[in-house]
Amino acid sequence: MVMKKLFDHGEPSYEQVNQDVIKSLIETGPKYWMLLATTVGITVVCFIVPWMYQIHMGVGVAGMNRNAVWGTYLSNFIFWIGLSHSGTLLSAVLHITQSDWRKSIYRSAEAMTLFSLMVAATFVMVHVGRLWFIHWSFPIPNPMGLWPNFRSPIMFDVMAITTYLTASSIFIYMGSVPDFAAVRDYSSGLRRRIYTVLSFGWRGTSKEWHTLGWAYTFFAVLVIPLAVSVHSIVSWDFALSTVPGLHQTIFAPYFVCGAIYSGTAGIVTVMYCLRRFLGFERYIGKIHVDYLGKLLIALSMIWTYINIMELFTGWYSGSSAEIEFLKFRLFGFYAPMYWEMILFCAFVPLLMLFKSVRLNWNRMLVISILINIGMLSERFIIVSTSLPRKLLPDSYGFYFPSPAEISITVGSFAMFATLFLIFIKVFPAVSIYEVKETLNPLRRAEKT
Amino acid sequence: MDITGTFQYEEDAISAAQGLHAAGIKNVSLMSPIPMHAAEKALGLGKSNVRKFTLIGAILGGLGGFSMCVATALVFIMPTGGRAIIALPPYLLITYETTILIGVLSTLAGFFLVAKLPAWKNRPYRVEANVNRFVVAVESPSSNEVKKAEQIIRGAGALGIEQTGDTL
Repeated sequence: MVMKKLFDHGEPSYEQVNQDVIKSLIETGPKYWMLLATTVGITVVCFIVPWMYQIHMGVGVAGMNRNAVWGTYLSNFIFWIGLSHSGTLLSAVLHITQSDWRKSIYRSAEAMTLFSLMVAATFVMVHVGRLWFIHWSFPIPNPMGLWPNFRSPIMFDVMAITTYLTASSIFIYMGSVPDFAAVRDYSSGLRRRIYTVLSFGWRGTSKEWHTLGWAYTFFAVLVIPLAVSVHSIVSWDFALSTVPGLHQTIFAPYFVCGAIYSGTAGIVTVMYCLRRFLGFERYIGKIHVDYLGKLLIALSMIWTYINIMELFTGWYSGSSAEIEFLKFRLFGFYAPMYWEMILFCAFVPLLMLFKSVRLNWNRMLVISILINIGMLSERFIIVSTSLPRKLLPDSYGFYFPSPAEISITVGSFAMFATLFLIFIKVFPAVSIYEVKETLNPLRRAEKT
Repeated sequence: MDITGTFQYEEDAISAAQGLHAAGIKNVSLMSPIPMHAAEKALGLGKSNVRKFTLIGAILGGLGGFSMCVATALVFIMPTGGRAIIALPPYLLITYETTILIGVLSTLAGFFLVAKLPAWKNRPYRVEANVNRFVVAVESPSSNEVKKAEQIIRGAGALGIEQTGDTL
């Protein structure tokens, strides 16, 4: 097998890796602050203010109604949970399989997981309306003696997301400890004190490396099945109901595949930004976009197959309720959105079969964004075309998002961007020590 | 007082560390900017005890999760459509999640305990060990060990030796 080059512009030296990565943390220009102010502003105006308004007025300000009791908040929740899937999962799988190309992109991909999960968890709080009772969903004995019902898929969700958020946070933090120590050594004053605490006094002794290696591998092994379980469980929020269009056995693999698909597209978008705005062209190169492109093609084909199967099983059931649901989805009010999703997620990715497309960062950026627009539509369609078409015509209804819901959706992207902008100034966005592991080893044999 | 020796090559640093061990000098540490798998073998670092934390944590997490579900169901009995009060399929899902949750947390605890971190006291350290050099350090050697340690480190090809070095 021919080993592909990891670095497009030649191997950097060990010292250069430290300098390049730490520079991205320490040197902060006015453009960064302007961008951060903009994202914070959009988050406040589009997310926080409408949410506070909703808390004040009640969930009636959202477009949800008696028939369509779930709406954009839930579809956004699925979207963000989905987007979280590739970071930690891909990082863990590639760690276990010892794939060197993972090493310069995994830190930011894991951060994407973490922040997507945070945004997703926020949507649960927005959706429930009475936020101040949300602790009732946790297994904490309370004065009313109300304990959660663990037979409910909603409780599966609470446990799965809490576990995934905890595991992902620990996974990214533990992998960053040696790099925090590198930043500590380059810093002075308050920054040095902060990174001394963050690095736990790491010195890079053989014992520390050895223990980290074992612990990190165990984290990876535990996180892989966890990630698969999380989106399967999210799918059961829907599939364990009897609503036509939701009561599907294929939903768990469908959701997991869709999650990895949108997450991988998200990684391409994030990597483009890291290259473009943090100057990581040397570390994130053709090999990464090429492999991610190939992964996207494979995922697109699996996703398309499952979509066809979803339609087929609905039609083959012969159930009038299922047929009515299918007609509503394919030719009803939201049909243009459905066909847009098919175009963006089933056909557009086929362009990546051409190497000239796959190796071009600008084209890949456009495709990755289109895929995620398609995936956002997919989640919206799942919710908005099923609940308004239940088993009996008298339960038929219609759902359209209200201005508050649309605004909060827009604000969620700004919230994610804000969290990511903060991340790149606290965590080394590219793993220093793992990139060094891919360089020419500091051994006598290799040097002489 | 501590002694630190800085090396350009991995093999030299490993050979120095092995020599110090062979000479019966204690409190020797070998620092590097990347994991050194060869050093782990040479210094006899076998299977880490972290795995025991993971296993025990995962087992306790699984048992705890299942017990939590059963106890909740028995404390607050909710008959639903003739379904079992202690329903295995949904409870196994919760059990699975808590197995992983406690497994991860105990692995984290295991990492801290085995690696002896966080460590805030002053210990021998050189910043080059986090960039592109290998550093062998001897912490608080006795007066008759100092000369012997310096000889071994120099003999292994150290770029420089310091008697105090930076401390962390």
